[in-house]
Amino acid sequence: MFGLSTFDYDEDGFRECDVTGLTVHKSAEDLVKLFGVTAIVSLAVGGAFALTVALTRWEAIGFLDPGQYYRFTSLHAWFMILFWMVFMEIAILYVGGPFVLGRKLSLSRLGWAGYGIMLAGGALAVFSIATYDLPNQAPFYTSYVPLPSPAPYFAGAVLFLLGALVAAVPFFVTLWHEKREHPSKTLPLITFGAFITGVIALEALVGGITALTPAFLWRIGFLEHLDAAWYRQMFWTIGHGSQQINLLAMITVWYFMTHVIGGAEVASEKISRVAFVLYLFFINLGAAHHLMSDPALSSSWRMWNTSYAAYGAVVASMIHAFAIPAGLEAGRRRKGAGGGLFGWLWSAPWKDPGFSSTILSIILFGFLGGITGVMMGQMQLNMSWHNNLAVPGHFHATVVTGTTLAFMGLAYYVLRLVFGRDWFASRLASIQPFFYGGAMAVVCLMMMYLGLLFGVPRRHPSVMDIPGTAFDFSPSEPFFVVFGIAAILSVVGGALFVVIAVGTLLAGGTFTPPIVEDRAISPVSGDAAPPHEQSMRGTFVLVLVFFAVFVVLYALNWFLLSQVWEIGP
Amino acid sequence: MGDDDHSPLESPEGHWWNQSVNRRESIWLGISGAWAVSMFGWMLGWTQVGEQNQTGQTYEVSTERYRQKVQSFKEAAGTLEVDGEEVLVPDGNDVYVGALQWAWDGLPVVLQPGETYNFHLGSYDVQHGFGVRPEGNLSKQISLQILPGYEWVVEMSFDETGTYHVVCNEFCGVGHRSMHGTFVVQDHEPVETGSGGSESSDAAYGSWFTSDARGGATDFDGEPTDATDQSDVTVEVGADGNGGPYAFAPTAVQVSSGTTVTFEWVSDNHNVLVESQPDGADWEGVDAFENEGYSHSFTFDAQGVYEYYCEPHLGMGMKGVVEVV
Ligand code: HEM
Ligand SMILES: [Cu+2]
Ligand SMILES: [Cu+2]
Repeated sequence: MFGLSTFDYDEDGFRECDVTGLTVHKSAEDLVKLFGVTAIVSLAVGGAFALTVALTRWEAIGFLDPGQYYRFTSLHAWFMILFWMVFMEIAILYVGGPFVLGRKLSLSRLGWAGYGIMLAGGALAVFSIATYDLPNQAPFYTSYVPLPSPAPYFAGAVLFLLGALVAAVPFFVTLWHEKREHPSKTLPLITFGAFITGVIALEALVGGITALTPAFLWRIGFLEHLDAAWYRQMFWTIGHGSQQINLLAMITVWYFMTHVIGGAEVASEKISRVAFVLYLFFINLGAAHHLMSDPALSSSWRMWNTSYAAYGAVVASMIHAFAIPAGLEAGRRRKGAGGGLFGWLWSAPWKDPGFSSTILSIILFGFLGGITGVMMGQMQLNMSWHNNLAVPGHFHATVVTGTTLAFMGLAYYVLRLVFGRDWFASRLASIQPFFYGGAMAVVCLMMMYLGLLFGVPRRHPSVMDIPGTAFDFSPSEPFFVVFGIAAILSVVGGALFVVIAVGTLLAGGTFTPPIVEDRAISPVSGDAAPPHEQSMRGTFVLVLVFFAVFVVLYALNWFLLSQVWEIGP
Repeated sequence: MGDDDHSPLESPEGHWWNQSVNRRESIWLGISGAWAVSMFGWMLGWTQVGEQNQTGQTYEVSTERYRQKVQSFKEAAGTLEVDGEEVLVPDGNDVYVGALQWAWDGLPVVLQPGETYNFHLGSYDVQHGFGVRPEGNLSKQISLQILPGYEWVVEMSFDETGTYHVVCNEFCGVGHRSMHGTFVVQDHEPVETGSGGSESSDAAYGSWFTSDARGGATDFDGEPTDATDQSDVTVEVGADGNGGPYAFAPTAVQVSSGTTVTFEWVSDNHNVLVESQPDGADWEGVDAFENEGYSHSFTFDAQGVYEYYCEPHLGMGMKGVVEVV
């Protein structure tokens, strides 16, 4: 595939990976390359749009005029949240299934077909955004009915989702074959995580098709009327459901990367698997936290929904927040890599961009994305977040400093282990995750600050000059300056990744294992006791710090809300 | 990696389900569970003792019906002049807010501090966002979703006096960024129901179509249409222009004294407010937002320039002129 790889397969199409010990089949590997490269190209395009959008919101620059801002923001959303994320996720399903199980990808033709449908649907949607004219309006990510988004947009979106659905089928069929052959064997944790991701993806995609198909029919005039509240509820099954896919795929990558590079082991199979199952049952309706400040829903339903999401999904995330660093700590202690409280962490391969991306992703996702998500998911607190810039602040923390960073880390290893090439400019590669993660964290914090403390709306190109009134948000200007500079840096950081990836594919040398000197640690030099008997005190301290920050931010947000005038009975 | 018995890439061996869990992991589980329950409890408790809960009755109502409700609210309301601007004084404690592309109908109103009002939130067209903050303290802000087809009644009571700004927080089309309204919280004497007159200003015809005047700049080539030889002239309201159906066509028209001009609505949600007119003229325009098919006629006698605009689309530059020569 692409003629870019340095590996050879045996006559059955298999090869053995020297680093992970996995048996990899060409049918799966070709598709992983195809989906992976498409994702990275999309990231590059989406990043260019990010720059134009960010420099418009920083009004001192005011790059785009207002009408174009709406269009460009919609394009940014599509290239990032749909193309970059979803293409990458399909690749992850193929790694988590066939790679880990050492099998061929069953029905791999469907993978190719799915790819084609996704590409066609995506192209149609993006084309319609790039060219729509009045009376059509920019769809953004949500295309809220009855604002008229272009009709081909809805058709394209449905097609794209359908394609993703088709591409997921080979993964499930592969698992099914494995189960038929080895009915009593438990799936490896990574495969189990990928499986749950796949199931949630199915739910989300079906929900999305249910919402967008009527919207298309309404837009072409076949349906007279579509209820706005119904559409919102249905839309968010995919709108949020796909974020859950991002979350689960990311967590699966965390387990994978900390193991492959850091030597992590599973702290407790039981607990980690229960956490995945909790997601399966509890996360889908968590989508309704987008409706906390909507009419048309009773407060008891909204409350029940948040509580149920809090009990189920949040607890599941908190479990992983412990289990993953604990796995790293226990695994490294067993291998004799680090004594004391944090020795296992200091001695870790921080120069390896695969490792540092993963750890930064865990930290930034937890502190910035996770905590804020729980806060805005509380019914009343939602009023102070709803539709202001703090919302993009939150979801860039989850989907950029969390998922994107984790996927970048994985992609570094796709380059090595799948394409068999070593990083071109490896010095640059080792600072890239810090550069990108750091700048993006500032972008997120500024957006949250602007939204919560200045009430700056999202999806708005000119808050310093609102036509027809003297009122504006000028006191917030200094924060926009910091936001703008950090946004430029983060785009540079993202571009760096793309340059390294493309450079590696075209000009990287052949990769020869082992991956880091660290892996040479002898298993006998450490304590041989199983992971769950290892000390997890370092992790425990870290999660207590996390918990303290959580409680403080939670309290601050309630304080902020309590200052507002009286609302409600 | 043969040296790992506990790899996430391999099937776990033996009775993994019965394997014991590290004590610290169990403690963390307990903390997580307790925290989730506490957060839920706090949220429930806040509905009883907290002062900010976005709950209230929702009614299904057609956009047309909701428009009528807001219209009746405006008709029943009194007026008061606050800082040189005419604002509505609600008749009773119900305040009707009609969101439309791109204005807030029913606003501005003046409210008594400490009094509890029922805010009725609804839309005439697409989804909008009711984002509110007092002028002097931007961090005291909240936002509520507005959906067409639904009327949401939420109680609110304000202690802090001053102007509150309402900015649309949900993308609602190209003019979204111009969708702004206000209300004022201020102690005032009881006011009787009545209707206000129109204010006047002497802005020059020359700058009226630029963004130096109220609202956005208008697409106008500088040449008024000469209709001085006609006794009946038609101006389309909501014709294509200014980036959508946001123009008066012709934008500026010259007529002879005594000419009847008919304003015909060719798209929805527009009104005609008079910005300025010659001394002695008494054209009142059309206050209410009207839809396609509506028309309004007036006979222009007094010589001079009549400047007018559409309120919701002022930000888009929807402005016009009738000049009697
Ligand atoms: C280079 C880093 C990035 C920067 C500087 C950036 C910046 C921005 C800005 C300024 C907005 C507009 C917010 C508003 O005005 O409402 C935005 C919207 C958005 N971004 Fe990004 N972004 C970046 C990367 C990403 C990535 C990697 C993803 C997804 C994986 C993403 C997903 C989105 C989405 C979904 C929206 C919302 C569009 C909507 O409102 O419908 N962004 N971004
Ligand atoms: Cu709006
Ligand atoms: Cu208008």
